[in-house]
Amino acid sequence: MTSKRLGRTQDPTILVLVSLSGGPKHGYAVIKDIEAMSGVSFGPGTLYGVLARLEEEGLVEPLPADGPRRPYRITGTGAAVLRARLEITVKVAEVAFKRLGELGALGA
Amino acid sequence: MRGTLVTELALRSYPTWWKDRYADEVRSVTADLRAEGRSGTRLALDLLRGSIRARTRTGGMPPVYRLWATRTRLSIAMATLSWLVVAPLVLMTMGSPSLHATGGRVVSFADGPFLIGSQLQLFPAHVGLPRPAPPVTPAGTIVLWAGLAVVALFLVTLVVLAVGWSRLTTGIQRSSSPHRRSAFLLAWSPGFALLTDVGLVAALTVLHPSRYHSTTGGAMVPVNGDPAAVHVLAVVLAITAIAGWPASIAGVAVAVKRADLAPVDLRFGRTVSVVVSALLVALLVAYATWGVGLVAQARQAAGGGFTTITYPNQALWPLMLLTLAGAALLAATGAKVAVRTWRMISPELG
Repeated sequence: MTSKRLGRTQDPTILVLVSLSGGPKHGYAVIKDIEAMSGVSFGPGTLYGVLARLEEEGLVEPLPADGPRRPYRITGTGAAVLRARLEITVKVAEVAFKRLGELGALGA
Repeated sequence: MRGTLVTELALRSYPTWWKDRYADEVRSVTADLRAEGRSGTRLALDLLRGSIRARTRTGGMPPVYRLWATRTRLSIAMATLSWLVVAPLVLMTMGSPSLHATGGRVVSFADGPFLIGSQLQLFPAHVGLPRPAPPVTPAGTIVLWAGLAVVALFLVTLVVLAVGWSRLTTGIQRSSSPHRRSAFLLAWSPGFALLTDVGLVAALTVLHPSRYHSTTGGAMVPVNGDPAAVHVLAVVLAITAIAGWPASIAGVAVAVKRADLAPVDLRFGRTVSVVVSALLVALLVAYATWGVGLVAQARQAAGGGFTTITYPNQALWPLMLLTLAGAALLAATGAKVAVRTWRMISPELG
């Protein structure tokens, strides 16, 4: 069972940070990586909006361009922010799975 | 080829600083995505959404005072000029109310929105003495109050805008911009349009014949004045009155874009934009109440025994409500961006 609504709630900022945590990538590679790991398709307008914001906040940084393609990499601060955010997400997920398990045990 | 053109058009909607920084990369990514079969239209729509975000949010914008000041000025213009485009149309679609009852025409001792609480007289359709008219429906009373609120909000906003405009012209005079003179003249375009209209009305009054003599055939021939010139001037007046309105708005918009305003004037403009957008939202609520009241009034008066209020162009209200909602959204966005950008530049000014 899928839900379009749940699909839309995926935070693009986290997805981009997760993608770059696997190593520096240029825009197209980030889009393909996010597609492969989450099934979410970004357009260039969305991606570069997120990259501009992350760059301004010092969470990612651009590397020297290879022609028109410029790779980006996650910074130390970016990695720390991502880690903190994921820890919360994992905690929430654990509670959610536990509660869903209890719900299943009740036969709901 | 067509996809490239659409991408280029979408890229044009981005701010210059954004294009300087990211346009080449976006072209490259878009070309790669197009090559794998992604729809050009969807990519262009995504770019357009991105351009709205780039223009309304502060993320990624370089810390250059000139850029932030330009954005603040344009946001102020968006918040205030939206009202100027739509509010007069709203007032025109309302017009002056007239009263009716089953038994005939109803006449009030007051006019317009001041009908509230006034004594109503019914003039029967057939010959007969006037008698007290039946009461206005509860929804009709709401319609009258909402109509009064619309007019009051219109006038209050006009005063706020006049104060803002006065500050804009003073600010342009004080600025050291090379465009100061042209910006000042453009800012004065509403004044020029108004002066032209007043001049034309004065000329019409002078040239209009005031004395006539009748011929043997019974026709009235003017003794003084110039009927041909009056005819031409009347056409010119209609054209300048209609065209002067959008031209004035465009003139002020260009003046705001060019003006190199001092921070203190920018801060004032930001406040004006917030007040105008709030008043526009209030106008939207009052107008919606007015329209819904008219619909409810028709239901309440269906059985007869009530005086009903009608406006000449009331059928246009759903369309005008949508237009007003769009303008309110634009104004609120403009004011929000003005506040946000001002917050970013004010620490730079110490």
